[in-house]
Amino acid sequence: MVLSGPKATARRLREGLHKKPSLPRFVFLVHALTPAHKRILGARFSDPELMAGGKGWGVPGRLCRIVVEGLAIGEVLSLPLLPEELLTDQEGALGRMEDAIRRAEGPVAAVGLGSVLAVVAGRGEALAERVNVPITTGAAATSWAALGNTLRVHERLGGPIVVLGASGTVGDALVEALCGLGHEVIAGGTGKALERRCKTLGAKLLPEEEAAAAARIVVGAATTGGTLAPEHLQPHSVLIDVALPPTLKRGPLPPGVVVLAGEAVDLPHGWTRGLWGQLYHLFAGYGPNQIFACLAEPMVMAIQGRTTPFALGRRLKPGALAEFTEAARELGLTPRLARGWREARLDELPRR
Amino acid sequence: MSATMPELDPDVFEKVREAIAEALGLDEDEVVPEARLMDDLGAESLDFLDIVFRIERAFGIKVPRGGVESQARGGLVEGEVLEVDGVLTDLGRQKLAEAMPEVPSEDIVEGLKVSEIVTLFRVATFYRIVVTLLAEKKAS
Repeated sequence: MVLSGPKATARRLREGLHKKPSLPRFVFLVHALTPAHKRILGARFSDPELMAGGKGWGVPGRLCRIVVEGLAIGEVLSLPLLPEELLTDQEGALGRMEDAIRRAEGPVAAVGLGSVLAVVAGRGEALAERVNVPITTGAAATSWAALGNTLRVHERLGGPIVVLGASGTVGDALVEALCGLGHEVIAGGTGKALERRCKTLGAKLLPEEEAAAAARIVVGAATTGGTLAPEHLQPHSVLIDVALPPTLKRGPLPPGVVVLAGEAVDLPHGWTRGLWGQLYHLFAGYGPNQIFACLAEPMVMAIQGRTTPFALGRRLKPGALAEFTEAARELGLTPRLARGWREARLDELPRR
Repeated sequence: MSATMPELDPDVFEKVREAIAEALGLDEDEVVPEARLMDDLGAESLDFLDIVFRIERAFGIKVPRGGVESQARGGLVEGEVLEVDGVLTDLGRQKLAEAMPEVPSEDIVEGLKVSEIVTLFRVATFYRIVVTLLAEKKAS
């Protein structure tokens, strides 16, 4: 019997039968990267002071809404703060992050942290203590994308693989994974602690500049960026760059060197993000057809109903890279060999 | 203005040790005063941010950014130059040695770059900074 009429409608409303099953929700927190971004956020949030380039702390707001068809709903919330402002007052940054999460729509299943927000306030740990929502830094997804891209380049070029910034979260995960797959890995860096770690993992250790010159596949995973002069790269080598700011200092590249974005991911299937979402990716440097991997990490957590973060604090959770790889495979996520906004063709890359 | 290395206050040191061990994911036993943060304990530059955050919370203080550099510049007379093209001058190295008494003088080598000062940081450096800031806080 089909129920109809005002009484039936009232009953449906009471019982919530009119509602579609709700999708899990995730939040991705970002911040302004430049003063220009801050002004743009002012326009987005209708905040005249921010638009005028005000230096106040402003109020966090929604930059865009992401719908992953049939799977999840996400919100990108932005703090109108520059990196310098976040680094100078980490406690203040923590309060703003908490505030942003409390402003999010509906029950949130997972929160991801973008850029500097992933490193301030104990790399997500202090925020996780304050809010009753799983927090993840994005480092597992970044490692997954960089690893996938590195392996694709290695299929074409072969030879040893250099990982710069091997003492960082992503660098360490890459060295461990690549060694585990049996590749010849040269870690770039110095220090007794890194020496011990490389010995355990089976990687060779060289100072950064020597390491960069030692192979034709170089992964830039340092957390500071801007540390390597281009002339240290071999001609006809490939730099897979995960660092932000980018790994290379200014200067001409040796002949035939190709620089790829290390953590680009193909735009996931069924993904819509509206005008501001498109603009956000354009301003973040990823263009219309790709996203950055760390944005996918809270999405995967929300879809899977996972309450344990993939990455929180300094190191990935044990097994996190393998678990994220499996989850990404199930959801059809694929790393993308990207040169700026566009996908790199394999024939653009050097050969063995 | 030269800093002197204060005698270890066990309570303060324990909190500093805990902050560093938590930030770097180490056992507290590994965090000894003379350990170099980067070389011995495997810290990277971003870890300093985390250590500062944990220390600020543990002690209720505010660690100024670039504190050691400004300490080294303290008392500088007009015309005196601490660095040229990013490399410390003799005066710069002398001032740095005064500002960082916990660092053996042989580590402050000729040709040391300003960007390399961070590699000199020891556990004791953070301890000294905390003790100084606590004393300032008490005085104010």
